[in-house]
Order: sequence, then structure tokens, then C-alpha cells
Amino acid sequence: MVIFILNILVLLVLPFVFTGVINKTKALWSGRKGAPVLQPFHDFVRLLRKGQVISSASSVIFIIAPSITFISVLMSGFFVPLVSGRSFIELEGSFIVFAYLLAAGKFFSLIASLDVGSSFEGMGASREAGFSTIIEPGFFIILASIAALTGNYSFGAVSMTLEKAGPFGYLITVLAAAAVFIILLAEGSRVPVDDPNTHLELTMVHEVMVLDNSGFDLGLIFYGSAMKMVIFASIVANLIIPSVINIYLSASIFIAFVLMQAVVIGTIESSFARLKMSRVYEFIFIVISLALAVLAMVAMRAHGG
Amino acid sequence: MVLFLAGIFLLFAGGITSLLVRDQIKPFISVVFSFFSTLLLSFMSLRILFGGETLTYSFGLPFPVGTVPVVIDPLSAFFILLISVMSFIPLVYSTGYIASYKDKSLSSHYFFLMLLICSMTLVTAVQNAVFFLIVWEIMSLSSFFLVIFEDDKKEVLSAGMNYLIMMHISVLFIMAGFIALAMHSGSADFSSFTGVFAKNGILKDLIFICLFAGFGIKSGFVPFHNWLPKAHPAAPSHVSSIMSGVMIKTGIYGVLRMISLMGTPTLAVSYFVLGISVLSALYGVLYAIAQHDIKKLLAYHSIENIGIIGMGMGIGMLGLVYGHALLTVLGFAGALLHVLNHSIFKELLFLGAGSVYLKTKTRGIEKLGGLFKKMPCTGWLFLIGAFAIVGLPPLNGFISEFLIYLGLLKGLELMNINILVIFILSFGSLAFVGSMALLCFTKVFGAVFLGLPRSKEARHVENDSPFIMTVSMSALAVLVFSIGLFPQYAVRLTFTAVQSLTGRTENISGTLPIDLMNIISSIALAFIALAGILLVIRKLSLKNSYQESIKTWDCGYQAPDSRMQYSASSYAAPFLSLFNPFFAVSSDTVKPAGYFPSAGRFKEKKRDIIEYYFIRRLTGYFDGLFKKFSWIQGGDTQLYILYGVIFLIAALIAVVVY
Repeated sequence: MVIFILNILVLLVLPFVFTGVINKTKALWSGRKGAPVLQPFHDFVRLLRKGQVISSASSVIFIIAPSITFISVLMSGFFVPLVSGRSFIELEGSFIVFAYLLAAGKFFSLIASLDVGSSFEGMGASREAGFSTIIEPGFFIILASIAALTGNYSFGAVSMTLEKAGPFGYLITVLAAAAVFIILLAEGSRVPVDDPNTHLELTMVHEVMVLDNSGFDLGLIFYGSAMKMVIFASIVANLIIPSVINIYLSASIFIAFVLMQAVVIGTIESSFARLKMSRVYEFIFIVISLALAVLAMVAMRAHGG
Repeated sequence: MVLFLAGIFLLFAGGITSLLVRDQIKPFISVVFSFFSTLLLSFMSLRILFGGETLTYSFGLPFPVGTVPVVIDPLSAFFILLISVMSFIPLVYSTGYIASYKDKSLSSHYFFLMLLICSMTLVTAVQNAVFFLIVWEIMSLSSFFLVIFEDDKKEVLSAGMNYLIMMHISVLFIMAGFIALAMHSGSADFSSFTGVFAKNGILKDLIFICLFAGFGIKSGFVPFHNWLPKAHPAAPSHVSSIMSGVMIKTGIYGVLRMISLMGTPTLAVSYFVLGISVLSALYGVLYAIAQHDIKKLLAYHSIENIGIIGMGMGIGMLGLVYGHALLTVLGFAGALLHVLNHSIFKELLFLGAGSVYLKTKTRGIEKLGGLFKKMPCTGWLFLIGAFAIVGLPPLNGFISEFLIYLGLLKGLELMNINILVIFILSFGSLAFVGSMALLCFTKVFGAVFLGLPRSKEARHVENDSPFIMTVSMSALAVLVFSIGLFPQYAVRLTFTAVQSLTGRTENISGTLPIDLMNIISSIALAFIALAGILLVIRKLSLKNSYQESIKTWDCGYQAPDSRMQYSASSYAAPFLSLFNPFFAVSSDTVKPAGYFPSAGRFKEKKRDIIEYYFIRRLTGYFDGLFKKFSWIQGGDTQLYILYGVIFLIAALIAVVVY
């Protein structure tokens, strides 16, 4: 029960803190004081209260898409292991449901951006769709390898990697965590895949897809993408942190790990520029290489290595 | 059995009657006959599917056929259900669609349509090789005549010829396999083939691969797929939807029937089926992304989905090899359910494409756009089809793909290093296929229905398609939703079919993932409910707030038009450029040059690499070979008589000598 409540808090509140910590980190690196950590929440509330400007070219798809996308992210959060590796719904193959729910949301956000007939938004949609085609197989190979390793086919298996893997465990964990972290950067549109602070439409990925959204819808979009980042950060955290009996201890370790990733993202964003667009695919292909390395490790172990 | 015979008779009678009446009535006559036949056949198949018994009957026919055993086991019943229902819906659609061909005589179109449905049903029921080949051939020929409906167009005729030739290569392979089987068993009955398949050895594998090639050409497995992207755009939409939704599945039926005769397949062929299926799925979807003709694109997606079905079959076969009941059930149930699902959403998409074609007279997605506002019903229905084909929850495509994914995961239980690596890589490939399909269908839907119209034709569409067309498509959409939201019942539908296919009599109901499907059903319902609630909240909270409608943001430029809109090719280009080595690319580029740039142009063609480098070369060699014999054909009647005389003399000598 305690875990259930903690999980609800993690899923619903942590996204605001996560974005807040990223922004705070960036502010500190650039020598500013920065906005309060909970600023994203205030922004969200402000956006919900605002009116809307809607493109005259768009149809009803543009209206319904942000809500559907948000629900898909929220529901995919039900399957992801959060505090002490527990998720709301545990079933065999839950990571398949997870990934497909996210994809369902992506489908709507992509067609919504094509709905306004803009010369820019299609560009962002094209990039986002292209990146996720490379990410998905990597993600699936990693999760299936972990399932093979632990003999557990639910998403919660990620938190068992360290115990079950023996001497290979650390290596597998590190490789898998690195891959999921890259997925986090790509799905959350952070540097080096995308620069959320850019002001040039031609170089944007996710931001350009939502150029014409405003008010309530824009609030949902921001909240949803922050939630998505927290979800992927939880996978990374569950891969790395060992299981602890005490719930409060494990919860605090978990939250610390998630927020640490926000700090890392902020630091990356303060120290690197985004990659050239043609280089981004190469960066994302690292996910596949890491996934294949994980698969090789798991196969070696299964073979008795 | 009476129901079956009556159903077949009604279909045939409907075909004959349609020949006798006026053009205007033909569609309706066919629909009426087909309606009753569908009722009878689906009632019969449902009874067999849920009862689990097998109908057997033998017909004595004159030489050379002999007795024809008609056996309708649950596997046949599953396919009969599919064929009768999924052919009926496009037939209803066609009553609205065919009206657009005003100056075209329908002549025997409906006769062949009914004949096609009739022969497809028979293919799944007869269990004798000779009679099977006869109905198989009737099926291929009648569909050929349907493809060349617009026979005054040159490209339609050439696509039709291509189809005809491919189908005969297919029949050649099947015949070779059947002859080998019949020679060793001494009978052409399917039941006698089991004995030949029982002996392990190279012969068993060779025969299976030969038959797989034959059936695979029909289904469109790579590398025998190239008839699909040609025949589908050439045929009228209801025909392409029957062909893609139903007819290519008879190839799958053939493979499944052979597997059921084999009992336990060998490891090698199981890996072969799995491998070729993964390849087909990847190849199909990659090429689909590169297409700009909507029906050609859908045809490539059929190849992809046949690949996914084949993956299910491969998993099931490996389950049989290793005696792993769960793997068998998940694989075959996934394959069968995907057969059903694919036929539903693919028909929906083809019919949707047909409605668009009817209004705009173009299939090029670069010339469309903004149709959602003008054709809302067609738009929503197409969206449902697109969402389902990508395999996204809460619709039906997700269910069968999930079963196949789960089968691949469960295979890891076997603790076999080969299985582990191959299954995980297939797992990743299936995810790759899924995400590419997402890219492809967001492209199609976005380019055709959303944004601004890109041509005069698209701009001048005024109203939605006729009522009868949207109604028949809605029926498909209802099926899409009902399987997606209540998968536990749909999975049960495949249960007896899987049981009869694997020949396992023991109770395998415990292995069916019904509990899992119950959970997925609630997830799907929750998804829809939550989205609905949020939309209501959104509506309420925006009720009193400021709303404005202005032009799309274009960096402050206030006159954006459809030419500035992102195009479908540009949408797909960055991704496709990663895979250029897999296409036969030819481009023609003239860049604008100089201080006052001249006009430039850019043209790129991505051709099918297998067709370009393999099939064309092969046909080239054959062409060269046969040209060497052209001197035989002199053209003189005397010469031909001389050949006859020479043959007769040679035959006489042969008789005398031996």
C-alpha cells in the first residue's frame, strides 16, 4: 500500500520536479540563480487556465491528439517498475504493452503535427518517427535479453538483473542502463539529440511538432513529455539500484537516482551542443549496438560462460 | 455438410445468375446470393469451431479425379469463416464503388467474383491433391480476370499478365510437391501424405520447402512477392481488398495444412520459415515507406503482415519440434488471429483507399491532403484501419502481435542458445517492423487526410462517399474494435483450429493466455475511458476561455499554402536514406546553378531490388534461352505439318524398337 501511494506520487509529481531540477542545474552551470524547482508545475497550472489559438488548417485530430497522447504516456507509466521495482500492473510481457502504449500516443502526436499543414512541423514529425524506429528494436532486444537472463517476463525483471546475472551482472547492467539513458535523451528530446532551448524551427525535433499547440493542450504535452522522461529514468534507476528491504530507504534511493539523472541531463545540456542532424541517427544507433552487446553477454552466460 | 454444399451452391448460382441479368442489377444479385451463403457457411464454421468436431464426406467423381474427400476440420472452418465473411463485406462495398465505372460494361466481373469466393472456400475444404489443384487453378484464373477489369489500360494488362505467370510458377511448385508426395504414398488424398511426412529425411524437407515456395508465392513471401505491388493497384478496390484480405491467406492455409500433415516438422524447415518470415516483414514495410501510390503501399504492407503471420507459424513449428505446448499454441494462435486481423484492417484500408480514389481519381498520396474535413467518415475509418495495422492498442492488430511477441519470449524457456539468439533477434525485428509501420502510416494518414489539399482534385472534393460504402467499412471497423477490446473471445475462436492443426488431442486450453487477454481487455477499455474522460475535462475547462482560429505558424509568414507544406516524400526521406543500399535507386538531379539560378529538378526512383537485380535478370536469361529456339517457329504451315510427320515417324520407330 505504501509502495502504491509512493508510486502514484512518483508518477504524477516527480515529472515536475524532474524538469525543475534539469532547469535548475542548467541555471547553476551558467551562473544564474534559476527558477524554483517547482516552476514547471506553476507553468502547467497557468497553461491549463489559458485560452487557445488553433490553426485554421487543422481538423478535429489536432484537438483530440494531445489528450490521447497524454493518456497513453500515463497508462504506460502503470506498467513501468517504479519504487523498489514494483509497478501498478504486473503481467507477462508488460514491457510490450508499455512500448505499444507509448507508440499509440506517438502515433497521435505525429499525425496531429501533420494536421496543421505547416512546413516545419512535418519536419519534426519525420525526425521523431525516424528516431523511434531505431530506438524500438534496441529497447525490445534489451528487455528480451533481461527476460532471458532472469526468467521473468514482466517489466519488473529489470530490477532483478544484478542479482541474477552473477559476474556478468555489472557489465550487463551498465550496458543496458546506458542504452536506456540514450533512449531517455532521445524520447525526452534532450541534448545531444535535440535542444529544447533552440529558437530555430529548422533544427528542432519535438518542439517544432507542437508549434501550433497552446493552452490546455500545450500544458498536457509538457507534462506528458516530462512524465515520459521520469518513466525512462525509473527504468535506468531500477536497473542499477540493488533491492533494499526497507521501503522508505529504497524509495529515497530510487528518487535520488531519478533526480541524479536530471542533474546529469542538465550537465550534459550545459556542456555540449546538440549534434548535427545527420549525426543524430549515428548517436541513436548506439542503442542498437549496446542492445546487441547485452544480448551477446546474456547468450554467453546462458552458454555457461 | 448440407450447409456447406448449400453455401457453395448459392455462391455458384449467384455467379451464374449475375451473367444473365442487366448490368445495374448484377451487384445486388451477387450480394443477395452471397449474403445467404455467408450466413450458412459462417453458421457451419462457427459450429465446428466451437463444437470441435470434423465434418467428413466423400464424393465420387469421374476420372481423373476419383473420390474427393471433403474434410472440414476446425482449421478449414476457421478459414471458411474468414473467406465467407470477409468476401461479403467488400462485395457490399462494391455495389457503391462499381457505379463509378459508368461507361464500363460489367460483363462477367461479378461472375468471376463469385467464382473466386466459391473456389477459395473449396480450396480450404477438399483434401485431395488433384481436386485441390483444380480449385486452386480456378481461384487463380478467376482472380486474374478480376485484376484485369480495366483491361483497356496497358499497365493493368501487364500487371495482370505478371500475376498470371507468377500464379503458374506457384502452381508448378505445389504440383511438384504433391506429385512427390503422391508417388511415395500411392494416393492423392491428403490423409495418405502423413505417412510420407512421418519418415524424417532430406525428402521431407525438400517437399515441404517446395510446397512452401508454391504457397509462399500466393501469399507474397519475399522473394516471390513482386506480383502483389503490381496486381493490387491495377485491380478495382473491392477486388484488391478481397485479394489482399482473403485470397493470399489461402497460401497460408496451404502451409498450415501441410504442417498439420507433417505432424512434427524438422528443425531446419522451422528455422527456414521463421527466417524467411522475418525477412518478408522487414522487406515489406521498408518498401512500403518508399511508396507514394497508396495501393502499392498497402500491397507492400500485405507482404509485411504475411511475414508477421509467418513468424507465428515459425514459432509454432519450433514449439512442435521441441514439444513445447505453450510455444506451439502461442505461435499458431498468433498466426491464425493475425490472419483474421490482417484481413479485417487491410480490407478497411483498401476500401478507404478506394473511396479516396473514387473522389479524387488519384492514388498518389503527394496529390492529396486535407480530405479529413471533407470526408470525415472515410477519414475516421481509415484512421482506425491505420491504427490497427500498426498494431497499437486498443485495436485488434495489437492482440495478434502480442501473442507472437509472447511466443518469442516463452521460447526463451527452452534454454537453448540458438533459440535464445534467434528469438531475441526476431523479437527486435518485429519491434523494428512495428515502428516502421508507425512511420509509414502516420505518413499516409497525414498526407492523404490531414493538412491542406495538395492538388486541384483534392481541393474539389465536396462530400463523403455513398452511404453503402461507409456502412460496409464501418462493419469492418466494428470488427477491429471488438477483437481489440475483447480479445479473450477472439483468442478462443482460434483454439480448436490450433488443436486440430497440431493434432494434439490433450487439453491445451490451460495454455491459452485467456487470463492475460482479460487483463489486456481491461487495459484497452481503460485507455479509451481515460482518454474520453480527459477530453471531457478539456472541453469543460475550455468552455469559458478565449478561443481563436488563425493561420498555421510559419515564422511569421502570413500566407502559407499547400505547396509549403511538408510532403510525404520528405517525411520519409531522412529515414529511407539510411537504407539506400537496399533499394535500386536511380535519380536524375539538376541543381540550380549560377548567381541567377536556373530551374532545377530532382527525380528519384526507388525500385524493388529483388525484382530489379534478381527476377528481371532471371527472366532475361530465360528470354535469351528461348530465343535460341525461335527458328523452330518458322510460320509456314507446311513446316508444322513436317514436324508432325517427323514426330509420328519417331514415335513409330520408338514403338517398333522397344
